Amino acid sequence: MEIYVIASSSIDGGIGCWDLKSGIEQLRFKPCASPAHGLTAVGEKFLAASQLRNASASSGSIFYWSWNKPQVEVKSFPVESIKALAANNEGTYIVGGGTSGDIYLWEVATGKLLKKWHGHYRSVTCLVFSGDDSLLVSGSQDGSIRVWSLIRLFDDFQRQQGNTLYEHNFNEHTMAVTDIVIDYGGCNAMIVSASEDRTCKVWSLSKGKLLRNIVFPSAINSLALDPGGSVFYAGGRDSKIYIGAINATSEYGTQVLGSVSEQSKAVTCLAYCADGNLLISGSEDGGLCVWDPKLRRPVLTFRHGKSPVNNIQVVRKTIVANSNKSHSSWKRHGSALPPPLDKYERSGEDAMDGIVIVDPPPLSDVPAYSSFLSADLIDEQVKELQQQGSAATEIEMERLKLEYKKSLQMNDQWQKNYEDLLQVVMEEQNGGTN
Amino acid sequence: MASFERFGDMCDIRLKPKILRNLLSEYVPNEKQPLTNFQSLSKVVSSISTHKLLSESPPASIDQKLQAKAKSAVDDWVDRLLALVSSDMPDKCWVGISLMGVTCEECGSDRFFSSYSVWFNSLLSHLKNPASSRIVRVASCTSISDLLTRLSRFSNTKKDAVSHAAKVILPVLKLLDEDSSEALLEGIVHLLSTIVILFPAAFHSNYDKVEAAIASNIFSAKTSSNMLKKCAHFLALLPKAKGDEGNWSLMMQKLLISINVHLNNFFQGLEEETKGTKAIQRLAPPGKDAPSPLGGENGGLDDAAWNSEQLIVSRVSTLMFCSSMMLTSSYKSKVNIPVGSLLSLVERVLAVNGSLPRAMSPFMTGIQQELVCAELPTLHLSALELLHSTIKSIHSQLLPYAASVVRLVSSYFRKCSLPELRIKLYSITTTLLKSMGVGMAMQLAQEVVTNAYVDLDLKSVEGFDASRKPSLTNGALLQACSKKRKHSNKSGVEADTSVFEVGVPHNHSSSPISLKIAALEALETLLTIGGSLGSDSWRERVDNLLMTTATNACEGRWANAETHQCLPNKSIMGLVEFQLAALRAFLASLVSPSRVRPAFLAEGLELFRTGKLQAGMKVAGFCAHALMSLEVVIHPRALPLDGLPSVSNLFPDNNPMASQKHNTAKLNGITHDGDDLRNRWLGSADGTYNNEIQRTSDTTLPLQETKRLKLGNDLATVVSLSVQDPKDMVASENVQQAEKVPESTEESLRDVSDKGAMAPKDGDREVVSVTQEGEDLVVKDSLMEEAAIVKKKESSGQSDDDPIPSLQEGDFFSDSDTDTD
Repeated sequence: MEIYVIASSSIDGGIGCWDLKSGIEQLRFKPCASPAHGLTAVGEKFLAASQLRNASASSGSIFYWSWNKPQVEVKSFPVESIKALAANNEGTYIVGGGTSGDIYLWEVATGKLLKKWHGHYRSVTCLVFSGDDSLLVSGSQDGSIRVWSLIRLFDDFQRQQGNTLYEHNFNEHTMAVTDIVIDYGGCNAMIVSASEDRTCKVWSLSKGKLLRNIVFPSAINSLALDPGGSVFYAGGRDSKIYIGAINATSEYGTQVLGSVSEQSKAVTCLAYCADGNLLISGSEDGGLCVWDPKLRRPVLTFRHGKSPVNNIQVVRKTIVANSNKSHSSWKRHGSALPPPLDKYERSGEDAMDGIVIVDPPPLSDVPAYSSFLSADLIDEQVKELQQQGSAATEIEMERLKLEYKKSLQMNDQWQKNYEDLLQVVMEEQNGGTN
Repeated sequence: MASFERFGDMCDIRLKPKILRNLLSEYVPNEKQPLTNFQSLSKVVSSISTHKLLSESPPASIDQKLQAKAKSAVDDWVDRLLALVSSDMPDKCWVGISLMGVTCEECGSDRFFSSYSVWFNSLLSHLKNPASSRIVRVASCTSISDLLTRLSRFSNTKKDAVSHAAKVILPVLKLLDEDSSEALLEGIVHLLSTIVILFPAAFHSNYDKVEAAIASNIFSAKTSSNMLKKCAHFLALLPKAKGDEGNWSLMMQKLLISINVHLNNFFQGLEEETKGTKAIQRLAPPGKDAPSPLGGENGGLDDAAWNSEQLIVSRVSTLMFCSSMMLTSSYKSKVNIPVGSLLSLVERVLAVNGSLPRAMSPFMTGIQQELVCAELPTLHLSALELLHSTIKSIHSQLLPYAASVVRLVSSYFRKCSLPELRIKLYSITTTLLKSMGVGMAMQLAQEVVTNAYVDLDLKSVEGFDASRKPSLTNGALLQACSKKRKHSNKSGVEADTSVFEVGVPHNHSSSPISLKIAALEALETLLTIGGSLGSDSWRERVDNLLMTTATNACEGRWANAETHQCLPNKSIMGLVEFQLAALRAFLASLVSPSRVRPAFLAEGLELFRTGKLQAGMKVAGFCAHALMSLEVVIHPRALPLDGLPSVSNLFPDNNPMASQKHNTAKLNGITHDGDDLRNRWLGSADGTYNNEIQRTSDTTLPLQETKRLKLGNDLATVVSLSVQDPKDMVASENVQQAEKVPESTEESLRDVSDKGAMAPKDGDREVVSVTQEGEDLVVKDSLMEEAAIVKKKESSGQSDDDPIPSLQEGDFFSDSDTDTD
């Protein structure tokens, strides 16, 4: 298991990738200029990032990189510019939020656009899957946050009944939502959202309402959650990282973890790495900083470039023991990456061909296991042999005895018949002679 | 002379060759001596594996002489076996072959590696020899399989091993044709499965022949259903032999076509004709080439037995089982799972319930319908199993189909009344909930609750009947109860039937225990995944139901499997399982998040307490676990966060469970650190510290109190904590700490300590005043700074340098910590 930090920026600087343990920079994937929340690792398979393009372009674009190649391998062009991009944990679906407020859901393996729906009135700014991947939380420029049940989105039957598509609709933010995190509470999870209106708000998933409102001195760009501490970190535009308590009692329960730069450059993104409890921040000046939140001090810094870093993700990758082998098998199966994402929903017969492509488990080189059976077989056969001496033969014996008896009876019968017949014949003969 | 030799203990290495020789002379037959006692063979095998008699000790460990002794003993053993294997007498031959299999498993790797080829050939000759008897053949199959298994663990002989394995296949296929006895078939299938798992390449040239042979076996359905399943399992593994994704899809396509063709025949008159043709069309679109039928051209689709309903169902179930196995066993390459076809097949089968559509009735005789109806449950069960494995195989990718699966499951739930099918339905529901999470719980909750309510209905089951409670609580009967189960009903003083029935789980009752267990498991999963979703609707009902079920299940007689060991009784085990399931579900209902305090907490605690004391180990163990889980419910842990304002009055409108959920995860490490830290801090400010510790150190839970003091616009938070771990206090550090109090904060400090002095004095107290002016002023908690310092000191032994270089003191208005004592 290796842990990488990936980061991208809004101005082209590629996607930087660092090994978190050693701090050594790995490949730099180019070119990439992605909006905030536009970078995601798709399962352990590859990287995907939506691209910022000039306003004149009619379509958006999403690029794929495989982990071992710095060049773009697959380019997709959705109908509009995609702001937020997210993949579920298994890496089987990608969702994208467009500038128009539409949300798109693609199947990764085939590139099919499975669903497209109107999510918000203005541009979608962030998309987050719930812990079990069954819910999607989206935040928008217009300040609204919506919770979607993916299963229900696919339920055409309910759709026709005219029910609302979303499960919850949170409208309390007055300005654009900048980031959303969701904790490990399952069905009772807390959702924390940050906004440009200088507040973070905590929502209850099960109740579907606002639990508390925490006011900060500056607009909050990004959030990271300490999964075990009921604490979240908020990166402010004033270059400070604040600590907020999800259960805070006061409206202003804020403290500062630290400040990323002297020149008060904004903290643009945050990520939390549960392995070793590290917080990673990205700043407007292009630097990344790894913090130890307990000690409240930076432990490591990376430099992405000069342009503001706006995406950081922590990616865990299982290392395949025999990397050579896996490489050759990739070659054998052609390109490792799936086809580009569709622009439109397919219609008619083609829409649901009912095939699902399932990837082999990541550790497919598990040695085959087979067990020894001889010892058991001996016991079994010994038992069988002994049983033949008892039950089976006994039954056979009884049957034979019975048959023997029957034949004896039969014999008697025939004997009798014969004697009767003989007597009749004799009598007839006697009568004839008489 | 040898008999005078003494040994160290039972593990003495010198013992091994002795025992082996003894076994050889006493129990293993030789050319002259016939086999007398079969039972002795089992003894030989068990002592070989306990003493590891055949593993010659590693060369480095002991002296040459001993090693030579061990080697010669094993040499003799192997020679004897080889002689037996080539014997003419079937019984001796059988002994030799069987023990050879054990030798392959047990012997040292050097010996195996040098002689496996010889052994293999001698074993194989028996498979090829048409004259050898059945028992010999079965034993050879198993022994060869063991030999290959051992061989697969040597990585340097892959090629040789594959060529060896390939030699087996043709003779084995010939055997399959000649002799179709169950025992031999089992041996052959096991051997083939071993080869396909370990050396898939060995099948390359004979793939189609193997497929045809196994398929014809499945189609003829002459063996037991257990054996058919083994065949089906092998068939499911077979695509591994070629290892590419196309082959998997081809096999799946063949299976599905074959199943549908069979169903077309079986369902004639029971469903619309178009359904079948549509299904086939979907699987083999008219434009494309249809694959050859399963098992080659004469795949048994039109033989004499075509009209036997029983045969058709047996085939279809086996083929469905095969598809399920294909779905759930892992493959090395990507696979394309035809989810659409699979689901429509399941739907097709479940739609037929044996009733005749009105238009069809003239075409079907009563007897025909009777035959079909007799077989339908089996068919439905297989279809549900197929659905289950489909769900398992595609995990999250079920998403686009999830809604239709939910509809299928819930509509079938309403129709289905057979316990066996309902159990399957519950397990499908459980899998759905587990794999799809909260979103699925939203869809399925109502269905699970309604059905579980029916199946757990207390009145419907004798033995757990709520109305019998009075007779149960009768003290004398209570004690006699367990005895009565052992003895007959005469022993009871007032042994009317109702009392006797209490101990006997009824097979004929409307919902058998296994169904109840399945229902309880489904409820438990629902509560685990989506307990808080039903707060407005079903939650209260479920909590109530589970409480009643659990109390009734445990009423008066804690199942104690241990005490009944003399009487290995299935019904007792069932009772233990049932109690466990009921207790589990009850615990889930107590712990699962909800908006109100768990209503039956008191009942639960009492139940688990008595269970812990009285029940058998398995149930008692669970009860202990349950008590531990509930401890945090009765003592909600409002542990302080990392230097943040206290969390004790969290959500004013929430129950303590929700908060405890967030707090428990991190607890100990932090509290420790935090307390430790505060100890130091307190010690530095107050000389009476040690006395205070003595007063409070026996308090087990941190005493928590929070007060918010409003000072004009300023906001202050008072955090109070008891001291937990005073040992770490070091005087010299206190001095350093004391020096560290920031001078800039003394003004506000005084301010606060006045207020703080009003607080009661029973315990160590600490006031953190956090002052804020306007909104832009940021407040820093100096406690955390201290934390950094202390940690650093501990780790590096250095002292007193600023741990946060980027901290700008000017940004913060005030930080003050003080002691009120």
